[in-house]
Amino acid sequence: MAFEWMHTIWFRLKALFRRKQFDRDLHDEIAFHLSKREESIRKDARDGVRSDKAPLLDARRQFGNTTRIAETTREMWSFPRLETFWQDIRYSFRVMRNNPGFTVVAVLTLGLGIGVNAGVFSILNAAALRPLPVPRAGEVVSIAQILSGKYSRNVHGEGSLVSYVEYKNYRDQSHVLEGLAAYEPFQEATLGGKNSQRLVGQLTSCNYFDVLHVRPELGRGFIGSECAAPGETAVVVLSDKVWRGVFDADPAIVGQTIRLNRTSFTVIGIGPSGFDGTEFTETQFWVPVTMQKAVDPLRTRLSDDNMSWLMLLGRVQPGVRIEQVRAELGVIAARADQSHPGRQTRILVQRASMFDRPEERPYIFAAGGVVLAAVGLVLLVVCANLANLFLARVSARTKEMSIRLTLGAGRMRLVRQIVTESLLIALMGGVVGTILAWWSAEGIVKFVASQAPKDEIGAIKVSVAPDWRVLVFALGVSILTCLAFGLAPALRASKANLNEALKSGEAAGPGGRRTKGFSGRVLVGVQVAFSMILLLAAGLLLRGLYHAQSIEPAFEMRGTAVVTLDLAEEGYDGPRAATFHRELRRRLTSLPGVDGVAAGWATPLGTNWSSESFSIPGTQVSGQVETNEISPGFFSLLGIPIVRGRDFTDADAAGGGHVVIITEAAARKFWPGEDPIGKALLGFGRKDISVVGVARDANISHLTESHPVYVFLPAGKDEQIVWKVLVHNSLGFASTATEIRDTVRGLDPELLVNIAPLEANLEILRTPSRIVAIVAGVLGILALALASLGVYGMVSCAVGRRTREIGIRMALGAGGGNVKRLIVRQAMWPVVIGILIGIVGCAAVSKILSVLLFGLSAHDPIAFLSVPVFLFVVALVACYLPARRAVRVDPMVVLRYE
Amino acid sequence: MADTGDLLQGTLDMLILKTLQRGALHGYAVAEAIHMRSDDALRVEEGALYPALHRLELRGLLAAEWGVSENNRRAKYYKLTATGRKYLEAELAHWNRMVAAIGRVIQPA
Repeated sequence: MAFEWMHTIWFRLKALFRRKQFDRDLHDEIAFHLSKREESIRKDARDGVRSDKAPLLDARRQFGNTTRIAETTREMWSFPRLETFWQDIRYSFRVMRNNPGFTVVAVLTLGLGIGVNAGVFSILNAAALRPLPVPRAGEVVSIAQILSGKYSRNVHGEGSLVSYVEYKNYRDQSHVLEGLAAYEPFQEATLGGKNSQRLVGQLTSCNYFDVLHVRPELGRGFIGSECAAPGETAVVVLSDKVWRGVFDADPAIVGQTIRLNRTSFTVIGIGPSGFDGTEFTETQFWVPVTMQKAVDPLRTRLSDDNMSWLMLLGRVQPGVRIEQVRAELGVIAARADQSHPGRQTRILVQRASMFDRPEERPYIFAAGGVVLAAVGLVLLVVCANLANLFLARVSARTKEMSIRLTLGAGRMRLVRQIVTESLLIALMGGVVGTILAWWSAEGIVKFVASQAPKDEIGAIKVSVAPDWRVLVFALGVSILTCLAFGLAPALRASKANLNEALKSGEAAGPGGRRTKGFSGRVLVGVQVAFSMILLLAAGLLLRGLYHAQSIEPAFEMRGTAVVTLDLAEEGYDGPRAATFHRELRRRLTSLPGVDGVAAGWATPLGTNWSSESFSIPGTQVSGQVETNEISPGFFSLLGIPIVRGRDFTDADAAGGGHVVIITEAAARKFWPGEDPIGKALLGFGRKDISVVGVARDANISHLTESHPVYVFLPAGKDEQIVWKVLVHNSLGFASTATEIRDTVRGLDPELLVNIAPLEANLEILRTPSRIVAIVAGVLGILALALASLGVYGMVSCAVGRRTREIGIRMALGAGGGNVKRLIVRQAMWPVVIGILIGIVGCAAVSKILSVLLFGLSAHDPIAFLSVPVFLFVVALVACYLPARRAVRVDPMVVLRYE
Repeated sequence: MADTGDLLQGTLDMLILKTLQRGALHGYAVAEAIHMRSDDALRVEEGALYPALHRLELRGLLAAEWGVSENNRRAKYYKLTATGRKYLEAELAHWNRMVAAIGRVIQPA
């Protein structure tokens, strides 16, 4: 009878929307019946002596109660539940219109609370939940290898990536995958010619576009034969953005050649617009994976069977479950493990998103979780605040409720009414919040992207436009908040004591006298506790930031420029790089004001660092130590004295680099109490190493590590290819930048030069903590404002309710000061308890912030003392203001009123 | 219909459908027909007819349209739909089976 059911709904809907017409019809139908009946009665009694009205009355009697019958009939056609709901909604809107201030405050604070939550969620969603922007993305899975046991492995990027041989094994032996593509996520290349610039692209297997079902908008994608042999087919697909931005959307570019890292590539296609690859950063070009050596001549990743460097994306055949893929690839991996005794490979398969590598995902979720927890706290404070507002309003409306109860409204009906009101407010807050989220998420991503270094991995392109997940999240949060702040007041309202409320007339609260205001106090305590946690976190981070700003590195940063070159990408080999650097140093030294030129692989406090394993013959000391391959003059340029021995000379590098300089901390650790000069070390890929110098300790690696264990090596020719050049100018950084660029251009006009002040390294370090401190500070202040509003409201409410009591006290001789103290003392109890709970709560979780605190203790006493005092004072003011009003009560007025 | 010799709801539905079997009628005519054919034994409280008519319309067993009555007044005419016809047949069959069964039980053996 599905048809009958649909028919019924359809008719009811018609009746709902044409209600007037329907009522008129029903009325006409009944009137018609009555008049026919009246006529017939008249006919039957034509000869009788009946008054004119009698037949009509008879007809009515025969018909029955017209109103009731009309009502019964109407009910057939309507949705009775829905209509009460509709009534509730209209009533709620009337209530809201009558209290516009309340409504606006409630909707806005809630919107703010939901907004920051949905905003953070939409970023998390965009990063880790949203599927890839390709057709039928649900079928695309990412695949990673987790190695364990005894093995050694070369890694480029993350260890969960696979080698080219492993990729081909999986691709050729799998039966459940429709296709399997591999790509190297980030490959920098310098685009040659007049548009010379740095691009970030991917080396991909030739089925990349086919597996993803992405069709180039111009030209074609790769064909299988282009990946047949290494280094033979120099073809490239450009992204739509690069095509428009760099090549002015010239369609003739397809078929022409461009130069990437000095190798000529033929452009065979342009990717579809809006497709920026499958990473969280923009991919600007794609070349066949077999061209790896042409793009990055120094490395031989393609032929290295034990190299982690390729990311895998597979498309599963219809109807195949992820577990089947995992099982099948696991079998293939186990076969490969047989030739690596002691190694076990575990396969991870998941629906592909922008952030898939198992090394990144936990980090994203942990960071996202912390931030979600923080904004969740704000939302809880908002809810507690709204619950308090609602409770106060329910108290004020006790009389209305009592009258409705007296007139026979069911208690459930009242509860439903209040819940409807809060649901409406929650949904309106949800709408405001979603708009806010959209806007704020975009802003946050832009802000973070502008702070993040984009040289090595490309521009962050996470799209935060809300999709259904964000909308569902916002709706869910709205409904939860509605329950959180609406249910308690609703239940309270329905418990209204009729007699008491009607008798006393004023807003004698619902519930017994004893519990009066109790839930309000709990709510205030909760708000204070949550605000305390947020404020303390913000205080800690601000202290950490201040700490970081005030740490001066124990070396000279001012006036030094860092020059980054792309010799490797431009195909320089070791001897050429060495010649280049010798000449560059000669020319730079002669520039006016330049009084020091040095070079190193890592710059002090820079983002790249490496560690190598070592051991000391004749001792138990061994392990990993941070290293840097540097030029002579590195220490004097940075103002770090050599406390023992000597600096490197050009002869050290030329002689094979069998000498090292170590830090004082390293000397103390390796040879406690002995003279380190001339001592031997093993490791670093060199032979017969001995110590020639000891440099004074300085925090060159981590800002907070002032005694680093660190080993400096003289750079051989090959290591000079990746050098960064440091130039110190006594006239300051700004005056040298152009001249340095011109000098480099004079040596090789094709090179890309990037020049930045060395102090920028410090900025990069401080940025994350600045971002987090700003966010936590804003959230903390928001929570503080809400909590003090809550305290203020609670005290005002209590004062209003206790007017009579205060009047009597004062009539009996209590002084204004006494009354004020009484009120403030009672109100501050929940505040103090909230503060204590907040302190304990924050102390329990503040460890997670320690990476952002630059060595400041996670239980920093200054933050943990000053912030609670601050909150206490704010709450005290919030209590005192309404308490002052209480003592202005004139006892006579109050007593007479009774 | 409380004072009309307890007409079960289903029975009233059946009577209405049966009455409409021969063509479209307005509500008054349906009431009259039920009176006449039952020799006034089934005296429906006339108003009770309307919720029933509307319920049947809502279930799609009747279709209704507005027309003009004998003396030129706007009246709502009901007629059986195909579903209504099938439903009536099923109901009648069921009714007859039941009456026969009851008859067998109460008839002296």
